[in-house]
Amino acid sequence: MHEKNIYKPIPFKLDKVETESPLIKTFFLTPEEDFHFKTGQFVEVTIDGIGEAPYTPSSSATVTDKMEITIMKAGYVTTKMHELKGGEILGIRGPYGKGYPLEKFHDKEVIILGGGVGIAPLRCLILTMMSEIERYQKINVCLGARTPADFIYKDWYPELGSNPKINLLRAVDKADETWQETEGVVTLLLGKLQTDFSSTVAVVCGPPIMMKFGTLKLLELGVKEENIYLSMEKNMSCGLGKCGHCALGDYFVCKDGPVFTYDEIKDYPDIWI
Amino acid sequence: MTVYSLLSKEWAKSLNSAVTEYKIYAPLVKSSSADYELITAETIAEVAYDCLLPVTPLKAFFFPIRENVVKKQGEEKRVIIGARNCDLVALSLLDAVFLDEDFVDPYYKNRRDNTIIIGSDCYAIKETCHCTTYGVEPYSEINFDLSLSFADEKMYIRVGTDRGRNFLDSLNISGRQEIDKLPEDILGKRENTRQLLAEQNKELPDREETKAIIAKTDDAFWQEYAKTCVSCGACSVICPTCHCFLLIDREKFEKIKQWDACQYPAFERVAAGEDPLKKLSKRLKNRYECKYIHKPGMFNVIACTGCGRCIEACIGKISKNEVIIAARNKD
Ligand code: SF4
Ligand code: SF4
Ligand code: FES
Repeated sequence: MHEKNIYKPIPFKLDKVETESPLIKTFFLTPEEDFHFKTGQFVEVTIDGIGEAPYTPSSSATVTDKMEITIMKAGYVTTKMHELKGGEILGIRGPYGKGYPLEKFHDKEVIILGGGVGIAPLRCLILTMMSEIERYQKINVCLGARTPADFIYKDWYPELGSNPKINLLRAVDKADETWQETEGVVTLLLGKLQTDFSSTVAVVCGPPIMMKFGTLKLLELGVKEENIYLSMEKNMSCGLGKCGHCALGDYFVCKDGPVFTYDEIKDYPDIWI
Repeated sequence: MTVYSLLSKEWAKSLNSAVTEYKIYAPLVKSSSADYELITAETIAEVAYDCLLPVTPLKAFFFPIRENVVKKQGEEKRVIIGARNCDLVALSLLDAVFLDEDFVDPYYKNRRDNTIIIGSDCYAIKETCHCTTYGVEPYSEINFDLSLSFADEKMYIRVGTDRGRNFLDSLNISGRQEIDKLPEDILGKRENTRQLLAEQNKELPDREETKAIIAKTDDAFWQEYAKTCVSCGACSVICPTCHCFLLIDREKFEKIKQWDACQYPAFERVAAGEDPLKKLSKRLKNRYECKYIHKPGMFNVIACTGCGRCIEACIGKISKNEVIIAARNKD
């Protein structure tokens, strides 16, 4: 029999769990076998005997002895994830998908647009890019959340914003008295950028409605269709291009994506749901 | 391709010794329909070589309804006799999915490696058969180790692979003779089948035209058919090219791979609740788009081989072919 079993997860120890916001927690993991991934790829996480679900790591792809995953409580498996305390062994398959083609971002200005829990995979992207920051002209990070309390990774932003090559802009739908930054939808932040949009690369990740309006705004500003990278959320199950659950037109999102450029998928109906 | 001629009774005799070494599956006719059964020394004589298309799609031998895909699998040696070309052609799509070199499915591969497939010609057709409309012949063209043609007492065997040849040699069939080509009477029988199919499906557009027809349909068109569809999924699970499955978790990180279908509600629903196939009319259309547009686009294969099983299986009395003809006649 073929020695590698694509369906069998490898063990990861769950070291600890941290609460980010009322519905979002970060899980700190240590692989018990050799494991590495590229930014933008995802993994399938199994809770023994309960179920499996896809997530994109939120830690840097350059770190291979630890991995962090940030998860919003949404369905059955994520609810079970949120019940974990630390110390458990989880099963991980992957990494799957193609990830971001970072070499195409080199020497360019990059816009990273994210909202809600969509900031998690973007954190992985940003941290990975920061490990070779000299390769990029500038990184514009535009992030949104419903309220200031809904922002995940609260401790991270001061450090991020202090990097000279990073332009960090944040918006909340509903501000409180402490909020000093933008109030309104995250796409408003794009209007504040001073850049040559026609040569800029943009990465978008977040809830479907934000992906849609973010993409439309980027196009309006002059970002090229083939320079807009979207992480598509689909009902991923196998991750292997076999089970059919993630079909999108002529693609399996798990294998051909989950990152697509806008021009690759714009002609399919219903890409935003 | 090497062809042999032999006496049918010698072939049957040779299977007597083979049943001890291999698990042999072949169609038997029970209550009017034919289906693959495990053959024993007692049932060799009952094998129905001239039956209609077996009920079970060939895929079930390689991609079973459910299996544990973490536990070790045995390496059972099997022979399948009587596979039809619509099912053989369908294997190309399954192979593209499960033997994709980036992620070889070891369970599927093990079964493919350990199974000898013996195809057979179709001389009689069901009223739902429409293979030739899509360029699929009513005799083995691909993915077979050996293939049988038969005329009265005589039978002819074409060799498709070395594995098939070795198996055939091991049977030591007495009176087996190599001939340079299939005799005229077999070619005539095949031509007759082709004509029956052409006549039966003369209204049906070919694959390219069907692709264009499906692409043009709007939701209102599918709403009509959605009225009688009950989302049972029979059309999908019975289809020799449908490969979708579900992974179900068991303790000790074991996983069960089980047939799934895009016709079931929530097939594409994500954790946050969005579901592009929430509407039944969209699910119905998705199946046709998958067969005529997307799978050919992804793998450059024939994804509907015209076996007609989905038409027979539908309890909502939706005939795929009538749907396609109606869609064409709409504009
Ligand atoms: S779509 Fe229907 S006719 Fe075509 S291969 Fe599948 S079951 Fe057979
Ligand atoms: S077999 Fe018929 S009723 Fe069942 S899901 Fe398919 S189209 Fe609908
Ligand atoms: S998740 Fe199974 S095919 Fe993509």
